[in-house]
Amino acid sequence: MMGIYIFIFFAYLFGPLIIMSITAFNSAEFPSITPWECFSFRWFNEGKIAYDGQHLAGLLSDWRLHDGIISSLIIGAGVVTLSVPIGMAAAIVLTQVRSQLRDIYYSISIMPVLFPGVIIGISTVVLWDRIAGLGGEGFIADIGRNGIFLTILAQTCFISTYCFLIFVARLQRFDQTQEEAALDLGASQTQVFFKILVPYLSPAIASAAVIAFLFSFENYNTTVFSILSDQTLTTVIASKVRLGISPALSALALTIIALTIIAAVTYEVLRRRAEKRYAESQEKFVKEKAADNRINKKYKAGFRIPKGITAILLIVVFATYGATQIVKNDLYGQSCIDAADKEKKSKFLEQLQTLESNELTDEELSGGSLGGNQDYGDIFGDPSLFQDFGGFD
Amino acid sequence: MSADVELSDVSVTFGSFYAAKNVNVKVNGGEFFSFLGPSGCGKTTLLRAISGFQEPSEGKVLIDNKDMSGIGPNKRPTALIFQNLALFPLMSVSENIAFSLEVRGVSKEERKKRADELLELIALEGQGDKKVHQLSGGQKQRVAIARALAVEPKVLLLDEPLSALDLKLRQRMRTELREIQKRVNITFIYITHDQGEALTMSDRIAVMNEGELEQIGKCDEVYNNPLTPFVATFVGENNPLYGKVTGIEGDKAKIETADGQYLATMNESKKLNIGDESIAFVRPESLFIPRDGDNFDNKIDVNIESFEFEGNLKNFYASLKSGAKIKFSVPNAIDTSSITSGSSIVLGFESSKSVILPKASLAID
Repeated sequence: MMGIYIFIFFAYLFGPLIIMSITAFNSAEFPSITPWECFSFRWFNEGKIAYDGQHLAGLLSDWRLHDGIISSLIIGAGVVTLSVPIGMAAAIVLTQVRSQLRDIYYSISIMPVLFPGVIIGISTVVLWDRIAGLGGEGFIADIGRNGIFLTILAQTCFISTYCFLIFVARLQRFDQTQEEAALDLGASQTQVFFKILVPYLSPAIASAAVIAFLFSFENYNTTVFSILSDQTLTTVIASKVRLGISPALSALALTIIALTIIAAVTYEVLRRRAEKRYAESQEKFVKEKAADNRINKKYKAGFRIPKGITAILLIVVFATYGATQIVKNDLYGQSCIDAADKEKKSKFLEQLQTLESNELTDEELSGGSLGGNQDYGDIFGDPSLFQDFGGFD
Repeated sequence: MSADVELSDVSVTFGSFYAAKNVNVKVNGGEFFSFLGPSGCGKTTLLRAISGFQEPSEGKVLIDNKDMSGIGPNKRPTALIFQNLALFPLMSVSENIAFSLEVRGVSKEERKKRADELLELIALEGQGDKKVHQLSGGQKQRVAIARALAVEPKVLLLDEPLSALDLKLRQRMRTELREIQKRVNITFIYITHDQGEALTMSDRIAVMNEGELEQIGKCDEVYNNPLTPFVATFVGENNPLYGKVTGIEGDKAKIETADGQYLATMNESKKLNIGDESIAFVRPESLFIPRDGDNFDNKIDVNIESFEFEGNLKNFYASLKSGAKIKFSVPNAIDTSSITSGSSIVLGFESSKSVILPKASLAID
């Protein structure tokens, strides 16, 4: 029973992503699964020149997308370098303030998370527009109207708060006597910070950096205001969607999903390996300590079927079914695409011919029997229309 | 090298609260000195004042006759061993021990050499590469000591470092600490609420209560001649007998209680006059069941209520006529099968083993 719930839950979570990923391989101009045109990688590569001469860019040939990704990466790096130190400093200050002040300080510190991103974006632009206007032409004016710079500042406003929360969580478990011990052993405050606190915080630094980058990369509502005339990945995608969605976006989505999964799996593998090493050293240590035969029973792990086997089997079955259907119906490769294009082109020509043969005359266009005041019974010509109107006093 | 530590009129206040009040102590170089007191008596505050984490509100801390005011903990010739040890969990044992050398810019080879020397001192040779979490409680303890000794401090301060250990280990560590102190020959200042620890290890102890010093002296002095009712009942166990002084004979005073008259010894500095409200104290081990031929100064009628077996001792709880409770201990080797709950017996004690002091509050157990 629980299996079914879990299946429904995951289907709800990942269904849209899976559908979208499949549409990336359909050669049709609009992302769709049915009707299936041809299996192709064109949306990952060059895209296509449509039968009407329009260029529909694929992932590799879309320079606006590339520019957007590059600015997103630059902004992400900038946000990480600003937010992590700010968040860390704010969290360390929190450990130093006492009693009631602490609550007030904490509330103020997390406030940026509660502000709408739109407001942060707009207020940053308004502030820097004033600052840029102060000094005439020059450096200040340049950076004050630089979209990438403003976006880094605007995003840092609230992303540093997320970093702050990560550091606060880690610092809560910090034993402050360690700092005192280091001081007592002759370390200066700087040495205490770099030799005791920073090593302790390093896992938090790593996770804060990752989270800050991800938040920055996917942010839209602040960025859309602060980016001014530049473009980030999110604003490019948004503007594309407004013009009509293209399978190149599905290809992009699939690429991002794939990168995420690879990163997550790599992290998990590394983590398990470290855990295993730690467990082994612990076991060795325990065996050294307790030389008696209490714990020397060998436990042999047998072959176990992984728990996710049903899900894996399901995916394999569907993928095989899809692949055989594609191969059987010859729905892949250049020949299929050529055939589809040819068919579409001929349809297009047909439609053009129909249109030409049905061309309207000038007289038909200029109104004819429809249009003009007469058709509304000349309602404004009625002289008694405003008779009972008392007029303005 | 060891150094004297002197607290001159030291007071520490937090708001209107006195954590320590007008404390005057002089700890001699090379001495094992303990501050003993219940939790919250201000002993940790004093230790923090000596190590530099807490500036005294009034008075001065002198180490080696130098005024330490304004000198931070990282500049003082002291090393502190924390109650929770505060070992650095991300460093290996050797790195922990050599930390104080590292922050002083000592070269890597030098650090390794010194760490190995110290590992030998604490009998953990070859275990320098282990992580701290791989050590047992007693080993961690010894690493903390080695880490504190690495810079050769003149004074080692210990803040109840044994309280987290189990009984057997604690007893062994007492001996070890004492031995290490003799070997390195520096001043140890030890903080504890465990009178057993203080008595077994120290050269001298200072008993504290509510921020004030009650008594300073050698262990047996404090145990046998307590200056105040607090010390009498905090250091070891004591039975109080409340009453009024009715007569004085030399250094002894006669006290009239609800249950009879007893003779007890006065403290030289706490002379009493006839009519003074006072308390005579007699320790459980000083109360005897008289045998034929015994002749005690004082006799006391008791009614046995209950009994507990402690191993080397048998403890009896009894009540006097007035309802006052009294405890006495008998070595396990003595046959007490005739004494059962409800039986009435006579106990005796020597006036030289009983002290009489002006009435004041006791240590509350």
